[in-house]
Amino acid sequence: MIRARGVRKSFGSAAVLDGIDLDVHGSEVVSILGSSGSGKSTLIRCMNGLEKLDAGSITIDDFDVSLPKDLAEARKRSATVFQLFNLYPHMTALQNVTLAPIQVLKRSRAEAEATARSLLDSVGLGARADAYPAQLSGGQRQRVGICRALAMNPRYLLLDEITSALDPEMTAEVLSILAQLAKTGTTMVFVTHEIEFARTISSRIVFLDKGQLVVDLPTEEFFAAEGGMARPRISQFLSKMRKD
Amino acid sequence: MKPVSLLLGSRLTFDVTILAPHVPFLLKGALLTAEACGLALVGSLAIGFLVAALRTSSSPLLSRAAFVYVDLFRNIPFIVQLFFFFYGLPEIGIYIDAFSTGVIALSIAGGAFSSDVIRSGILAIDPGILEAAEVSGLSKPVIFRKIVMPIALRTSIRPLGSVFINLILTSSILSTITLNELTGSAKIVASDTFRPFEVYAVLLVVYASLTYLVSLAISALHRHLNRDRMPEVA
Ligand SMILES: Nc1ncnc2c1ncn2[C@@H]1O[C@H](COP(=O)(O)OP(=O)(O)O)[C@@H](O)[C@H]1O
Ligand SMILES: [Mg+2]
Repeated sequence: MIRARGVRKSFGSAAVLDGIDLDVHGSEVVSILGSSGSGKSTLIRCMNGLEKLDAGSITIDDFDVSLPKDLAEARKRSATVFQLFNLYPHMTALQNVTLAPIQVLKRSRAEAEATARSLLDSVGLGARADAYPAQLSGGQRQRVGICRALAMNPRYLLLDEITSALDPEMTAEVLSILAQLAKTGTTMVFVTHEIEFARTISSRIVFLDKGQLVVDLPTEEFFAAEGGMARPRISQFLSKMRKD
Repeated sequence: MKPVSLLLGSRLTFDVTILAPHVPFLLKGALLTAEACGLALVGSLAIGFLVAALRTSSSPLLSRAAFVYVDLFRNIPFIVQLFFFFYGLPEIGIYIDAFSTGVIALSIAGGAFSSDVIRSGILAIDPGILEAAEVSGLSKPVIFRKIVMPIALRTSIRPLGSVFINLILTSSILSTITLNELTGSAKIVASDTFRPFEVYAVLLVVYASLTYLVSLAISALHRHLNRDRMPEVA
């Protein structure tokens, strides 16, 4: 499981994460909602070790991301998909997906390529394995990004607004892949503005506000009139999101 | 008009065939130039990447040292560096032959310029790409080799081309330390034949063609490294 305890992070004098406690168990899909600037990306970046915590701890299967020795193991167990894809521009889709399995997991090239091809196939990109990122549409790039993450066979998938750079059609193609992953029991931490989609795939919804985790509820309760919706901050947020 | 034609008239013929017996000698010089430049190219690239890596490293000491190196060698005339290595160092008991001195001096000078170009190539890399690599568990050396170097090379290959062309032109200065490369052997032929006009005219053409070929090669390499942005061949 991913366990965050008392996580604090500031940039300069601004407290961006202000004491976050969060547990994500195996096979859960936890969506993180919250307005822009509430600290969602920073929380994900603390989980994958891109930001150092000022206080508190985050462990992934008991590996502490603040300890360099543990971080390597924590990173083997988790994989991140980014808002702006962050594909390696000089490598083909296939090479993007096989690089880390070969270098980090020490898979043979043949094995890594076989896995990569079947992953690319499963997201409808079998025929584009040899294309470079610049030759792919945004939706295709993000599907490669997902394959690159999945190729590491992670227990936890960290997803930070992975569709917010995509148009509605491409968003749909990426989300349908996530829906399938959720069904197969992949554990996900899903930062998103796609409220309706979050509702369909999440087991829990977490609401971040100004660096604090103000709500952590099972999905149904979150959306129930007497649950999360009873809180003005959340109902405001949701109605604003639905309007946009 | 008159004085000019008079001047020209004093040497009526422009006859390159006169150089025919000296072609093998000149070719030997050209080969030496090619060898020195080829080695210095490898040397400056290696130094360039190393120093660029140091300059972009998180260690203040290393980046400072790398910065001093670049600043130092960019601000000293090449011929002074060369004389220092070849005539200066023997005074303190360090003897290096002319060819090695030339290659080392060219590599050090070329490395300073290359590192600058490569460094800006590295700084231009989208940090998100490096974060993706880091998060996937790749080690720093692997990230540098597989991600940083090739992406930096994509953007730096053209300015690196200018550095290499400069290297070739600068290599003519090696003739001042007894190295009979292309320019050195041309000097010898000119004084043997008393035909400096023909000799140096040929030299002009040879250097121009050499650098033109290199710039063609650089363009081809640039296209290859950036092939993903070219229209796909179906
Ligand atoms: N590297 C950084 N340096 C300074 N401020 C930052 C940095 N990263 C994020 N912030 C600030 O932290 C706050 C939260 O950012 P972020 O976690 O990206 O929010 P969200 O993803 O919820 O929109 C914002 O005010 C943002 O400006
Ligand atoms: Mg964000």
